[in-house]
Amino acid sequence: MPGHGPGRVIRLQCIAVLLVGAGLLSGCSGLKTYPNDLPKNLQVRTEATSGSAFSSMRVALHIHQVDANCRTEYQGTVNLNEPSVGVGVPSGRMSYLVFTFSGSSFLGGTSSSTRYETLLQPRAGYTYDARARYKDGIYHVEIRENDPRRSAGREIERRGLADCGRPW
Amino acid sequence: MTYPAIGIIVAVTVLLGGCAQPQSADEFRKSASGPSLSKVVTREVNRPLREVAATFRARAPECLNATVRRTLAGPSYHVVDVTYKPTVVVTDQRAELHVQMRHTRGVINVIQEPEGGFYVLIADVHPVDSKRSRIEIFGSSTGNDVMTRAIVGWATGKDLGCPDMAQVG
Repeated sequence: MPGHGPGRVIRLQCIAVLLVGAGLLSGCSGLKTYPNDLPKNLQVRTEATSGSAFSSMRVALHIHQVDANCRTEYQGTVNLNEPSVGVGVPSGRMSYLVFTFSGSSFLGGTSSSTRYETLLQPRAGYTYDARARYKDGIYHVEIRENDPRRSAGREIERRGLADCGRPW
Repeated sequence: MTYPAIGIIVAVTVLLGGCAQPQSADEFRKSASGPSLSKVVTREVNRPLREVAATFRARAPECLNATVRRTLAGPSYHVVDVTYKPTVVVTDQRAELHVQMRHTRGVINVIQEPEGGFYVLIADVHPVDSKRSRIEIFGSSTGNDVMTRAIVGWATGKDLGCPDMAQVG
C-alpha cells in the first residue's frame, strides 16, 4: 500500500519519540504558563540589561495563590519579554509574586538567577504598576497602587511570606 | 629532623600564616588598608548621617540576606552554597554596615572563621557636617564591585536597588 513500509514506520517512530521527549522536557521544568485570563490590573514594565554582549538577561513573573493559612500554590509564569506586559491578578485575595532575573553567559556556559518576592493583595477597582529593573548587576522592583478616583498613587511596601496574616 | 621535613614544615607554616583571615571588623579594616588585594573606596554624599543610616537599616537586611548556590561542573557536579549576613550598627557618631559570609554547603573550612562568618565588606559612615556624610567601603578589589555600587547608591539615596549577590565574590 502506498505510503506504508519501513521508511514511513521509522519516520512515525521518530515523530513519536520527539513528541514524548518534548512533553517530558516541558513537564520536567516545572513551569507552566499563567492563564492570565482575568482583567489586567497589573502593568509590569521591565528594563533589563545584562551589561555585556556576551550574556543575556531574562525576566519572568511567577504567580502563586496564597490561602488563609498562608500556604502558596503556584499558578503559572508570565514571561516579561516585552517592555510592558499586562497581568490579571485576582483582586480581593492574596497572591505571592516572584520576579526572577535570570542571566546566562554565552562564554563559559554560566547562568544565575536572582529572585524578588512580595505579597500583593490587589483591591477591586484599583490598578497597579510594577517596574522591574536590572542593570549592571543591580536590580529593583517597585509596585505602585493607582486609585482611579485620585491622581496620586502610593507605593506598595514589599512584604515577604513571613508577613502573611499580618494586617495590611 | 631532616632538611626536607623542616622545609615542608616551614612551607606549611608560611602557607597557613598567609591564609589567616581577619577575625574582627577592625582587623578587616586594617587588612583592607594595607598592601593586599583589598581596597578602600571613599565617597562624600549630600545626606546627613541619620538618613544614610536609616537607608542602610532598610536596604541591607532586604538585599544582603541571601544564599547563593553555585554548581561547579566537572567529572561530578559540586554544589557550593554561600550565605551572606549583613549587620548594621548605628551610633550618634557613625553608622557601620558589615557583610559577612560563610559556606553553608560544599566547603570545609580549614582556617578559623570569625563569629558570623568571614568579613567580605565593611562600610563606615561618618558625618562631615549636618548635611553631608563620608562613606568608606573596605573590601576586596575584585568581586565586590556590584555590592559597593549598590551601597553607594543607598548612601546617596539615588538608587535603592539590590546587588545581584550571584555576582559577588
